[in-house]
Amino acid sequence: MTAFEPNRRRIIAGTAAAAGAMAFGFGRASAQAGAPIVLGGSIPLTGVFAFAGIGIHAGIQDYLKILNDGGGIKGRPVKYVAEDTAYKVDASVAAFNKINSQEKVSLYYGDSTGFAKTINSELDRRGTMIMAGASFATELNDPKKYPLQFMAGPDYTEMFGILLRYIAKEKPGARVAFVYSDTEFGRDPIVLGEALAKELKLAVVEKIVTPPGSVDVSTEVLKLRRANPDFTIFHGYVLAPIPEFITQAKQMGMRSAFMGTFWTMDNSTVQRMGDAAEGFMGVMPYRYYYDRDGSAPMLDRIRQMRPDYQSTGYLQGFVTAMLLTEAAKRTLDAGKDLTGPNLKAGLNSIKDFDTGGLFGVPISIPGNSVPVGRIYRFDAKAKQMQPASDWIKL
Amino acid sequence: MDALFLAEVMLAGIGSGALYALTGVAFVLIYKATRVVNLAIGEILMLGGYAFLGFAAGLGLPAIAALVLAVVTGGLLGWLVERSLIRPMLGESPISVFMVTIGLGSILVGLVQLGWGADPLRLPEFMPATPVFIGDAYLAPKVAVGFVAAAVVIAAFLALFRFSRSGVALKATAGDQGAAYSVGIDVPRVFSAAWILACATAAGAGVLVGAIGGISPTMGVFGLSVLVVVIIGGLDSIAGALVGGLLIGLVEALAGAFLGGEYKLVVTFTLLLLLLMVRPYGLFGTHEIERL
Repeated sequence: MTAFEPNRRRIIAGTAAAAGAMAFGFGRASAQAGAPIVLGGSIPLTGVFAFAGIGIHAGIQDYLKILNDGGGIKGRPVKYVAEDTAYKVDASVAAFNKINSQEKVSLYYGDSTGFAKTINSELDRRGTMIMAGASFATELNDPKKYPLQFMAGPDYTEMFGILLRYIAKEKPGARVAFVYSDTEFGRDPIVLGEALAKELKLAVVEKIVTPPGSVDVSTEVLKLRRANPDFTIFHGYVLAPIPEFITQAKQMGMRSAFMGTFWTMDNSTVQRMGDAAEGFMGVMPYRYYYDRDGSAPMLDRIRQMRPDYQSTGYLQGFVTAMLLTEAAKRTLDAGKDLTGPNLKAGLNSIKDFDTGGLFGVPISIPGNSVPVGRIYRFDAKAKQMQPASDWIKL
Repeated sequence: MDALFLAEVMLAGIGSGALYALTGVAFVLIYKATRVVNLAIGEILMLGGYAFLGFAAGLGLPAIAALVLAVVTGGLLGWLVERSLIRPMLGESPISVFMVTIGLGSILVGLVQLGWGADPLRLPEFMPATPVFIGDAYLAPKVAVGFVAAAVVIAAFLALFRFSRSGVALKATAGDQGAAYSVGIDVPRVFSAAWILACATAAGAGVLVGAIGGISPTMGVFGLSVLVVVIIGGLDSIAGALVGGLLIGLVEALAGAFLGGEYKLVVTFTLLLLLLMVRPYGLFGTHEIERL
């Protein structure tokens, strides 16, 4: 036994050394080659925004699958770690903290304006990641105040800008009404939108605000009829109360054209407006799932992966994941570490970038937004939103 | 300000107030009989909307059959909830029962989302689309239909409590449970009937609300806004729900038209505060109501 002891010690020591080498030596080498880049997400899979959150979740997953199947970013896969938030800011913050305590997160998807504003100082303090999300709030489009955030499309004021430019071109001097919900989301573009309308020599004849969750809008329609606008822009809603608004307005013989902004623009949502959908217009930064005009290889890929119609939420998640990972790719290509400021610099280096045709034109991101969009109009025969203008770049 | 506009605004207000009143009745029925504030009324209302969608669009039944079945579904749910969740809670503190109804609401939202998804949906069009004109004043046809339906249902309930034996039994139970027992009234059965009637009413209101504003798993918040109506009217008074509903509908419409939509809730809740200071038991409520 005594003669055997040293041998056993040696064996144990040797095994430990080998294990250590594997853990620290080989493990380290493989980490450099293939350690995943983490994209975290506070995703609203339940609650009032779930209709979009479920699509966003699928869009992010699909883009990352395409990316990872193609070898990831410089050989590193991108790992998606998401938590449901029910579209509540406290739950979003809890999800953020949980994911960050378990993973080294470089890219993040946030679900609301409230969360984006709440978490901003923490993002700056950490300095380890960039964030985009479901919010197109005008306030977030300020690289000084929100240096590590961006949005994968125009902000709400820019959306109004695209709509108003279209109106000014179609009918100079037109009478315009804004109908919006009494929420942060609804109020966002109203003041700046009104100023822009004045610049474009359009008359804002009525601004109607509806309390959140209101069902019956008869009173508001009466006000709208008295204002008699040529164009009515809805903002801060998804579906209700837009269909009832349009139905009642048409019953009263109003001839206004009705328009919406991005989160109202999903094709299946507009279809659900029934008869009210005919002629409904709005601004979209991306091509629709079914668009066949122009070259869009990435849309072809999506259609291969998912033969059924995918929502605008899906496209938003998909494009956001694409831009987040493009920022990571550019940062690594430049030989820099994946820190927040480096990632944002990588993102801002995006110039005339082809998103595989998801945006209709090559895009640049000099600041925090991508101010590009096109007007689509609902065609009841085709049951589809169809292009009504060229791509408008602000 | 022209008189026609004022008339139209008031008509619109009374129309939407009728929907508040109808949903308010569902709160009142349960509170009156069992002293439970059922916070799941909004979600049962939502379920009514989805049940209608399932019967009308899913099974392709005619609208009237789908409406009846949606109301029956609401009633069945009421019976099930009362027997399985509420009756075992008899004798527990009101707060415990109150919490059970909150939990029930969350479960219903989850079930609907599992079954129909989270997207907002529209009900098949089944109401007349011809505008209604009272004199020269326009009234949206759906709002007019909602008003008539609510008026008929509330009148039926008022008659039921005044003239039918079961209505009198419910009133007796509400007045004094012990005394009601002693004169041979089957109190648990009264509880059950109250839940069935209330949930059936809420489901019917859900079809009307859904026909106007569309349905989504989160439409239950409408029920919560109706809580204000019944507090103003008096938690245990059907006439109170009617008056409270019409009053709030009218006040909201006038505030929305002349002050702006952002003032609707401010005016409503100011009214609630003032009223609670003067009559803490509501306009028509019984004096000794226990408040939460």
